[in-house]
Amino acid sequence: MADRLLSEFDVVVIGTGLPESIIAAACARSGQRVLHVDSRNYYGGNWASFSFSGLLSWIKENQEKADPCEENTAWQELILENEEGIPLNEGDQTIQNVEHFCYVSQDSTEDVEEAGALPRPSASTTSAFSTVSEETSAITEVESGCLPLDGETKSEETCPQSVTGSDPERTNDKEGTEVTSLEEKYCNSIMPDPSVSETGNNKSELITEAAAEPREITYPQIVKEGRRFNIDLISKLLYSRGLLIDLLIKSNVSRYAEFKNVTHILVFRDGKVEQVPCSRADIFNNKQLTMVEKRMLMRFLTFCLDFEQRHDEYQAQKDCKFSDYLKTQKLTPNLQHFILHSIAMVSEADCCTIDGLKATQKFLQCLGRYGNTPFLFPLYGQGEIPQCFCRMCAVFGGIYCLRHSIKCLVVDKELRRCKAIIDHFGQRINASYFVVEDSYLSEKICKNVSYRQISRAVLITDRSIQNESSDQQISILTVPPMEKGQPAVCLVELCSSAMTCMKNTYLVHLTCPSIQTAKEDLTHVVEQLFSVAETGEVGAREGEDEGEGQKPKVLWSVYFNMRDSSSVVRSSYDSLPSNVYVCSGPDSALGNDCAVKQAEAIFQEMFPNEEFCPPPPNPEDIIYDGDGTQPEDPGFSNPSEDKTENVSEKSLKEEPPEE
Amino acid sequence: MAGAERRGGGIPETREHLFKVLVIGELGVGKTSIIKRYVHQLFSQHYRATIGVDFALKVLNWDTRTLVRLQLWDIAGQERFGNMTRVYYKEAVGAFVVFDVTRGSTFEAVSKWKHDLDSKVLLPNGTPIPAILLANKCDQKKESSQNPSPSQMNQFCKEGGFAGWFETSAKDNINIDEAARFLVENILANLKAFPNEENDVDKLKLDLNPLKAESKSQCC
Repeated sequence: MADRLLSEFDVVVIGTGLPESIIAAACARSGQRVLHVDSRNYYGGNWASFSFSGLLSWIKENQEKADPCEENTAWQELILENEEGIPLNEGDQTIQNVEHFCYVSQDSTEDVEEAGALPRPSASTTSAFSTVSEETSAITEVESGCLPLDGETKSEETCPQSVTGSDPERTNDKEGTEVTSLEEKYCNSIMPDPSVSETGNNKSELITEAAAEPREITYPQIVKEGRRFNIDLISKLLYSRGLLIDLLIKSNVSRYAEFKNVTHILVFRDGKVEQVPCSRADIFNNKQLTMVEKRMLMRFLTFCLDFEQRHDEYQAQKDCKFSDYLKTQKLTPNLQHFILHSIAMVSEADCCTIDGLKATQKFLQCLGRYGNTPFLFPLYGQGEIPQCFCRMCAVFGGIYCLRHSIKCLVVDKELRRCKAIIDHFGQRINASYFVVEDSYLSEKICKNVSYRQISRAVLITDRSIQNESSDQQISILTVPPMEKGQPAVCLVELCSSAMTCMKNTYLVHLTCPSIQTAKEDLTHVVEQLFSVAETGEVGAREGEDEGEGQKPKVLWSVYFNMRDSSSVVRSSYDSLPSNVYVCSGPDSALGNDCAVKQAEAIFQEMFPNEEFCPPPPNPEDIIYDGDGTQPEDPGFSNPSEDKTENVSEKSLKEEPPEE
Repeated sequence: MAGAERRGGGIPETREHLFKVLVIGELGVGKTSIIKRYVHQLFSQHYRATIGVDFALKVLNWDTRTLVRLQLWDIAGQERFGNMTRVYYKEAVGAFVVFDVTRGSTFEAVSKWKHDLDSKVLLPNGTPIPAILLANKCDQKKESSQNPSPSQMNQFCKEGGFAGWFETSAKDNINIDEAARFLVENILANLKAFPNEENDVDKLKLDLNPLKAESKSQCC
């Protein structure tokens, strides 16, 4: 599929995260010749989403990256005398403290015996609590462990069908090759209903297993259904009046994506999960609130919608803490809690009144545009969004190369401008503008930079935290800090119809700015809301489970810290020439405004006179059979086609955008 | 995307389907030409990279009660290093895998494309989407023993999980309508066998005039 790359472009974009992808799309759309590369084998960088096996290999990669590969300095010979090479990073150092745990039976025979029984930690599950290398070996164990069950090795569905989905090329590791070979069989066979196939491979146990509660999910099942998962590295939602939604609509990139409403805004208070009333209908229908509280809440929210006009009502307390301001507003503690944590979603400790009012207003303004909560979630995960922009870029002629690492930037010493890159094949690629995601920048370039961190956890659970509601909901829950000085934790629960997890499971994302490691920051929240199997104490655990039947069980989890470079300013990279533009990784905020702002600012800096992502012509509007007057192709072709083709000679601008 | 069924306004029992169909294969095998020929009845000798166009739409009056709208998605010419975004594959219900009979290397790549296809998209019931193999540029075929025989092709399709194969020529308009009809038959058969259980009710598409679902745009 690969032919040789051209060596002349206008813009080279390195990294396929959201800001880079938006910039690539905007540049291609305005007629620039764009080369968009990523050294990874997947789209999105830290904005990516993975199938289950994809995530497992990502985990492995990030746990093994310890030894830096030997410096390959062959590129230095390609640097001319009046040039300087700025080497780029080989590996990604933005992810730390990756730990993952499995709490379900990893052996398919184990839970078959006892229909309806709780998955019991088998010998291999205990390894989940030990170090990671053991954990990975446990996974391999499962793969081989289930083979003997049915005599014939590797007969189709028995082995965990690892997902291949996004990474068929991941065949370099041992596990990967096995997976690929399994998958070929899998593709050719008509796959029976998952539940049937799961039992079908173990004939003797067929009946008992069929009688088992369908909810009991085993690890092999998760692995087998792995491609139903789309697990985001960063958890975000789209504010329905946020910049990203506006951009998606304006550029018509929205046609590549579908969304679901986040249906429930939840709050955690006194050990219970409750729904936050935020729309008018919610408030009226709410059964927890008294009549008086309903009136208070309505009055306050109405005020927030146009608080700027009612200056006198907050002016005196403008710079006080928002939480203190709320206390003066004739609101019960209950309501103050709702507003602070679930509507404004701001910090109790250090958010001032004006910011709190703005946040509340933003929330309220987003209500009703697409349903009765302010948020949307993209089907198949947040990782779809950068890919949507990449598709748009490719449609307008952008060239895509994954697994393509860039050794260095080539800088003209006199002009102090970057003029080319040298890739891992030693090919020199010239361009006028370079956009680089900051994880590619070497430590030397970043010596003046300090980073924040984001603590993340992803859980696969067996039921929703909101047990009374219907099961296909997307919920957001803010968990206020237990101690002062700690950040609130944002929890997003996704259901299988969001196309992010297999049937009968939920995918839970927890996010907060880091204080310590992700595990240390988030475990207490996980333990409050979920039932997490204890290590080693089988008997005790079962008893406890009965008592805590209401809590969703954690089946599998991963914790990690992600670097947050969103606050780094460009001037920190003073050694970079001015035509190298730097994009940051994801920030810890819930929305995507930061990435969109950054992308637009960089694009405008590069091309001040170009429109940012104007709508493309609708494919259904493009007329193919105009009069063929193109000189080089008389009679056959059609104008629109010829014009578009010439894009490589930069004539796209001539094409009317058909507005 | 699969089988968006609507009852037509006044006409009783009219069904309308919208199918996303992918056209994949190596660079220069004639994917765009096939689409142009099929949708616009045009053919150009000159190879054109595909820029600025996502998909072409072909409307078929399948029978008196069925209208089929086929969205033919070309790979954007430049996603040619095989790094297709999932956006391209998702929710497709059928595919043409194209190779050029005059270039053996493009035939060798067919399995790779089919594998990539199956790893990125499945029907809601978990089976691969129907794929048709197109041996394009058959007008330029040289008679040589190197070309696989029809029985070899049948065997290849069986082993590779293709629903069928056609020798096509976008230039001479050979077999393109037939191949498309065959694919649509397969798609419709799938639809019948596995009716869409997924309810798309709460999926949202964004556009400039979003439905005013909850028309009270303010909370109070």
